[in-house]
Amino acid sequence: MKKIIATLVIALCVVGSAMAQDELSFERKQAIDSLALEKVRDLSKYIKIVGTKDTPFSEANRVIDRAEELFMSDAEIGVSSLGSNQITYYRVRKYMEHLMRLNYDRVEIEWYNIEYVSDLQRQPDGTYVGVITIFQSFRGYDKEGNLAYKDTTKKDITVYVKRKETQIGGRTIGFWDVLLGDMRVKETTNR
Amino acid sequence: MRTTIQNITLLAVLLLLTGNAFAQTIGDFKMDETELYAMTKQMGQFMRRFNYEEDQFGFKLNPKDPNYRSNEMRRKSLPVLFDQEKYGKETDLQRYFIEDVTKGDSTYMTFLGGNWFSEVSCTFKYNGKLVNVMLFLAVEKEGLGSKWVLTNVYFSEFNKLFPNGELAEKEKHFLHPMSHELDFMNIYKAFQHPEVIEYYASKEYYPDYLTLFFYEIKNGRLVFQQVDSVKFHVLQIKDWYFEVSWFNRSGMNSGWLMSNVVYMPEKEKTNLIKFYQP
Repeated sequence: MKKIIATLVIALCVVGSAMAQDELSFERKQAIDSLALEKVRDLSKYIKIVGTKDTPFSEANRVIDRAEELFMSDAEIGVSSLGSNQITYYRVRKYMEHLMRLNYDRVEIEWYNIEYVSDLQRQPDGTYVGVITIFQSFRGYDKEGNLAYKDTTKKDITVYVKRKETQIGGRTIGFWDVLLGDMRVKETTNR
Repeated sequence: MRTTIQNITLLAVLLLLTGNAFAQTIGDFKMDETELYAMTKQMGQFMRRFNYEEDQFGFKLNPKDPNYRSNEMRRKSLPVLFDQEKYGKETDLQRYFIEDVTKGDSTYMTFLGGNWFSEVSCTFKYNGKLVNVMLFLAVEKEGLGSKWVLTNVYFSEFNKLFPNGELAEKEKHFLHPMSHELDFMNIYKAFQHPEVIEYYASKEYYPDYLTLFFYEIKNGRLVFQQVDSVKFHVLQIKDWYFEVSWFNRSGMNSGWLMSNVVYMPEKEKTNLIKFYQP
């Protein structure tokens, strides 16, 4: 709850007094980028918790619920590997459950310190769309502690940024609402 | 020449220095992020690097920054946008290209600037068999923003329907100019050879492959399977055409890179643009 309030406060700060601005200033874009990055960092954190074998089942399910809340309801995750162009599509919950069920004794999921944020473009209805690229390192170990599988994946995550309004103390305040959309997961040759 | 070598050395040193700073340890593994920083990770990043709208660390530059779109900085950063396995690190073509695009101020790439197309190579099922179909798309302004739209399609089966026939053969097929006085009683001849029915059309006629494609999709004979690869054709830069392809490989030259660069005066671009967007 504290987090939601904090995010709302940041969002309101970002908005300032400018309400119906079509062209975003450089500073405003930077502030929106930060909001979007915060969502992506939350997702990274949730993926790590769900993938970790020590996480109790009930906790993992709670985190999956939180992860689902970050996304648009129809968001899909498209996964492919180096060996095949075939893209497997998952809903957010299915993707996280798949991650939870991976058959390794121990896994290490880490994120590179690279977060690349695209420019925001407007779609026909005025909603801003961007893509944030992050990289994940995955290592799965067997019972004997041997490394059984490793990969580095590039994750391109769609970000939708929409202006919304809310009533606070009788005043109409505008804010930027950020939601994640489709995510493309592609294996890279970087190990 | 000497300055160029110095610039490339400077960039390499910068990347190596940043490499040390970007190393990260996970468990027993040390993850080196240098290559991922060097990778051109999105097509949008290609544009920003092309224009020098971000620095070598990937930070967006404020348009008020003196280095924003600086041609001097572009001369240093543009070589890394070439597929160096094909073009090497310093070739005549590369030098000429960089010199040409950094001498004026009209040679920046913009998302809504038009004349750049996406080629999406896909697998479809056609009458039960797997086939390759290339879709061409362009960004079109609409409403408050923009969207990608289909502009053309290449499918070999469609092209087979409209071969470039021999002129002598074409000249045999026509309806003589007084046919109207005979209630077009001779028109049946046009339909006796369906394979060349288009010879009876106006010389302005050009087959519309996109309509054929939609027709086959609507009839259920052509069914989408998957996207195999994506590349971009850029005709936005004055007197140049280049392709941007995805290179998934290790090293300091990966991601979205220029894979085919051709000097092409503006008047020669017309036919090519017509191919992508008839």
